[in-house]
Amino acid sequence: MTSTESTLDPITLEVQWQRLITIVDEIDTATIRTSFSTIVGESHDFGCVLMDAKGRGLAQAQWSPPGFCTMMPRTTRKMLKKFPPETLRPGDVLITNDPWIGSAHLPDYNLITPVFYQDELIAFLGTTAHVSDVGGHRGDLEAVDVFQEGTRVPPTFFYRDGRSVELIHEFISANCRVPELVMGDLDAIVGTHRVGIGRLLDFMRDYNLNDLKELAEEIIGRSERAMRDAIRELPDGDYAFEKVIDGYFEPLTMKVTVSVRDSEMYFDFSGTSPQQENAAINIAYSMTHAATVYPIKCMLTPRIPNNHGLIAPLHVEVPEGSILNCKFPAPVKARAKINKHTAPLIFSALAPVLPGETIAPGGGIFPFYFAGNDSRYSEDTFTVHVLPYGGMGATRDQDGWPPVAFPDNGTLTPTEVMEMQCPVVMWHKRIVPDSGGPGRRRGGPAEEYLLECRGEKPITLTVRPDTLEYPIEGLEGGHPGSLGAVIVNGEPQKRFPPIEMRPKDQVIIRTPGGCGFGNPKERERERVLADLRYGYITEKAARDIYGYQDIARYPGHGRAADAD
Amino acid sequence: MSARYSLGFDIGGTFTDFVLVDSESGTVEFYKTLTTPDDPSEAIRTGIDVLMDRTGASGRDIERAIHATTLITNALIERKGARTALVTTEGFIDILDTQKEMRYDIYDLHSPPIEPLVPRPLRFGVKERMNNFGDVIRPMEQESLDTTIERLREADVEAVAVCFLHSYQNPAHEEEAGQAIKESLDDVSVSLSSEVAPEIREYERMSTVVANAYVQPLTQGYIEKLKKDLADAGYMRSLYLMLSSGGITVPETAEEFPIRLVESGPAAGALAASFFGAQLGQSDLVSFDMGGTTAKMCMIKDGEPSMAHTFEIARVHRFKRGSGLPVRIPAIELIEIGAGGGSIAWVDRMGLLKVGPLSAGASPGPACYGLGGEEPTVTDANLLLGYLNPEYFLGGDMALDVEAAEEAVEKVAQAVDLSVAEAAWGIHQIVNENMISATRVHIAERGEDPRNLTLLAFGGAGPMHAYSIAKALKMKGYVCPAGAGVASALGLLTAPVAFDFARTYTTTITQDNLPTLDQVFRDLVEEGREVLREAGVADDDMRFEFSADVRHKGQGHDIVVDLPWEDFGAIDIEQDFKPHFYETYETLYGHAHYHLDLELMTCRVRATGPQPTVNLPESPSDSPDASVALKGQRAIYLPQWKGYREVPTYDRAQLPAGARFAGPAIVEEKESTALIGPDCECRVDEHLNLVTLFNS
Repeated sequence: MTSTESTLDPITLEVQWQRLITIVDEIDTATIRTSFSTIVGESHDFGCVLMDAKGRGLAQAQWSPPGFCTMMPRTTRKMLKKFPPETLRPGDVLITNDPWIGSAHLPDYNLITPVFYQDELIAFLGTTAHVSDVGGHRGDLEAVDVFQEGTRVPPTFFYRDGRSVELIHEFISANCRVPELVMGDLDAIVGTHRVGIGRLLDFMRDYNLNDLKELAEEIIGRSERAMRDAIRELPDGDYAFEKVIDGYFEPLTMKVTVSVRDSEMYFDFSGTSPQQENAAINIAYSMTHAATVYPIKCMLTPRIPNNHGLIAPLHVEVPEGSILNCKFPAPVKARAKINKHTAPLIFSALAPVLPGETIAPGGGIFPFYFAGNDSRYSEDTFTVHVLPYGGMGATRDQDGWPPVAFPDNGTLTPTEVMEMQCPVVMWHKRIVPDSGGPGRRRGGPAEEYLLECRGEKPITLTVRPDTLEYPIEGLEGGHPGSLGAVIVNGEPQKRFPPIEMRPKDQVIIRTPGGCGFGNPKERERERVLADLRYGYITEKAARDIYGYQDIARYPGHGRAADAD
Repeated sequence: MSARYSLGFDIGGTFTDFVLVDSESGTVEFYKTLTTPDDPSEAIRTGIDVLMDRTGASGRDIERAIHATTLITNALIERKGARTALVTTEGFIDILDTQKEMRYDIYDLHSPPIEPLVPRPLRFGVKERMNNFGDVIRPMEQESLDTTIERLREADVEAVAVCFLHSYQNPAHEEEAGQAIKESLDDVSVSLSSEVAPEIREYERMSTVVANAYVQPLTQGYIEKLKKDLADAGYMRSLYLMLSSGGITVPETAEEFPIRLVESGPAAGALAASFFGAQLGQSDLVSFDMGGTTAKMCMIKDGEPSMAHTFEIARVHRFKRGSGLPVRIPAIELIEIGAGGGSIAWVDRMGLLKVGPLSAGASPGPACYGLGGEEPTVTDANLLLGYLNPEYFLGGDMALDVEAAEEAVEKVAQAVDLSVAEAAWGIHQIVNENMISATRVHIAERGEDPRNLTLLAFGGAGPMHAYSIAKALKMKGYVCPAGAGVASALGLLTAPVAFDFARTYTTTITQDNLPTLDQVFRDLVEEGREVLREAGVADDDMRFEFSADVRHKGQGHDIVVDLPWEDFGAIDIEQDFKPHFYETYETLYGHAHYHLDLELMTCRVRATGPQPTVNLPESPSDSPDASVALKGQRAIYLPQWKGYREVPTYDRAQLPAGARFAGPAIVEEKESTALIGPDCECRVDEHLNLVTLFNS
């Protein structure tokens, strides 16, 4: 470990580092409070990052989805190729939603604001946010190319010299269905960056700093050394893992080989299925990269605030033209359907060397949204997003959480808020018995929604399901979680163009369960009894899967269920 | 002798504080004794006896007795509440587990889920349903309700929370179910979400009503016992209880809505800060209360603490946002972080020094307590920096062990390659920085500028850390009130009888629907009158303040806007209301969307009785000479000196009003020690507050 001559003692560094995190947290809070859409304000589908003048990640908001925070600095560096730092001026805001430059599908807009101090560019603030609409077709999973999926905005100025660039505002506004929501969110983000700039300049003055160079080197340098130290503790070797997942028209293979070499790790995804022609489930490289490095941070350095140094020793190779590194102009809108399997693949691959740190696969995101017109709810078109998840996987020591955002982060739109915004009634949202993958530690249970259209005319339901056919294995003998399902008026669905819900139509949406960890036969009796009492498992499962033949009807069990 | 005393008593985690004010002479008596957790009334009796002895008064001479307690918070944190059941709309019993489907720590795969207060087997669904307009779309089925009641009976529950979807729009089903449960089950307390928190968002509302039910039986028992104890001491009048909102209320209301008492102690602290602010003629300040395990900060603007309508209790991961149970109640908006005298310092794997959130608490306590603690804490650092006097801790009742502190701090000093003094300063500075960051955000989120604010520091450790915090935030200065260690109890005596009412009513705000809106407010006012009458407030003394949660149409979140108009029904929406909203929004976020309509979400009314006045005597301030209080000299460490220097120490009890002296200096009193920085000038005002300003 070579330590360069530094004036930053460990106390000053800690103090200044925490302060930078506070600044991005404040931007995060302001974004929620000033946003317009449910997807930003209620679902927290956005991330905020502070970067140094080279576009390297320095600090991220604590609740931001981790993927955004890894992608944003890459996006920024790519944009700087088109707009070199010397061409930027105070009051500028850059924007793009290009999937191959930004975060891999059109709805994610990236806004990047350079921060100047004493006429020098010292940092960038970046926010990626999923906006409510980007035009294009109403579909989700089925598309032939990215052009169908909406409007692509190449890197350009959203604000220049502090003034809004009218053409680009009008252009984005004119090319989406709910301009008030979209422009409301984008302009709110610009406002939060102004707040952030004020805080950052206060910080510079408080500590008499002229730039962030030294601080950035310290943060990144120390983090990188910590990550390298942690990797060095792992035995050198190659750890491969392969699994089959649903895909859309056909099942897909995901494969990775993780090579640990001294203080570095190499990820090779050779053997993974090629990109898909007519299904919008292709992933641009930057997202695969983010999903690959996330598990490493969780397992090796969970307590170090995220920044560029932690990913520096990680090298991610993905064959071009594969589903995980698709070529332009592949359709990409629903890339989360595949991306949700990438982090679990890494967690599973490294389970043999990090059994206490890893986690079994979880159900992942299962998003849906409603769109339509109904004057009782909205004068214009309504779009209401709900982002539910499956159960979380088990770890060696802990049962999986009930449905929760993982490996992304976000919050669920409340039922009452959803019903206030569109003519849909949710008749239930409940946990499904026997859905959590059995194991010595059980996977988190899945949840099921029953939705009914109560409007006077049809509305559109767009749903992006996953794990309907191919179960995902648990770890160390843990079983798969239950499969997901989408059932329209009693008919299980296999293809997912937007669903027209006519008045009184009913749809069941069932997310997948989380996977188990370890042999279920080793699960302790009291845990099995508790699961019975809670209605998480049935007596049959207690006997047949967990091996407690003698468990008779447990007094009081089954009482948790609803009256029916 | 007429009843002329006001008694405030606040049961905290470690200490129970008392304050007795004689309304005729204005004299104040303070008393502090250890809390007696097994039977809190023991400490209460001790305190009352001592104060009665001191003043020669009896229980009959007390006009008002006001109480704050941590009982409810503790019951929630320690999960020691009643066996509680939840009755909800069929299909929604799992809301308590799925919550917001958010993780509070995105990188820690091993963080535990947030355990609900009601386990799944005690949650029951009833066949019924309202829609978002409050229309019945599934009538409540009698059979389903009967079955549920039968199960509640079998489960032998002590409390029941009822929360149906959209009950904030139409409470009919909840009321019917609640009535049926009460009639069928004896000795079971029932809480309805439409009464406890009639606001949209089912998880937050459900979490609130469940917490209310969970603490209801024990609160009822506790208050009844307290009333009896006070009656035994000769106190004949009504007991008042402090609410989280900074109002006080009578036992009947407190027993119905016990969750509203959850932050009663901290609320009293914020009120005390407002009170001292008024004394000082400073209406904009930040109250800073730092004790053994936590620090609480609260922004006070125009003499009023800021208010919040939702906050989190009983966080799983110490103080981590998102890891607690949300409750929607009106509460003084405090930030509470794990930073106190007992916070433990440690070194992470990158070689960085960290402080907290783990605390050594009172046992084993900081290393210097000599009670077996070995970890270095903030108190140990303060001792080594010379801020604390080892011979005068708690007025000399407890000797501090300097060597033990040195040994403990040495451990981290070696790990970060610094001297013991530098490491001690590091600990002091990092715990400060944790508080500074939180305070900075708290101030900024209210659109305020710290340069216009004064820090009001109290609690055992507050006056010692105030200098660095006020300096870092570039505040005007800091003030340590007399008796800073117990000062927060004084806040109890300044609180009016008050209760807050809210109702979600979603609509676009237009001139046309103004009459309907006005009616919602009038209904809330009527509810307010009833509650105030119950508390013995005369009609002429009742005051009502109006506010509303409003947003730009289509926006996801709302802000609270005060409605300053006498007659809301008579205003002009375009001319009066909209500009008022935009201005409020702009103050917070720097911009507003003038082209958008406005949408109302929730109507709020605060009903208050008369504001009590507490007049403390003034001392003549004609004695600028501080030297009469000089105790000696002591070496303290400051980083700008890169070492220790001798500074004067003063005995606070001897400092006369009007005294002035320059920093650096240390001022010692029994329960706390104040650090006066080298770039400061300190003055003792006529109320014996230490007013410290930075030299400009």
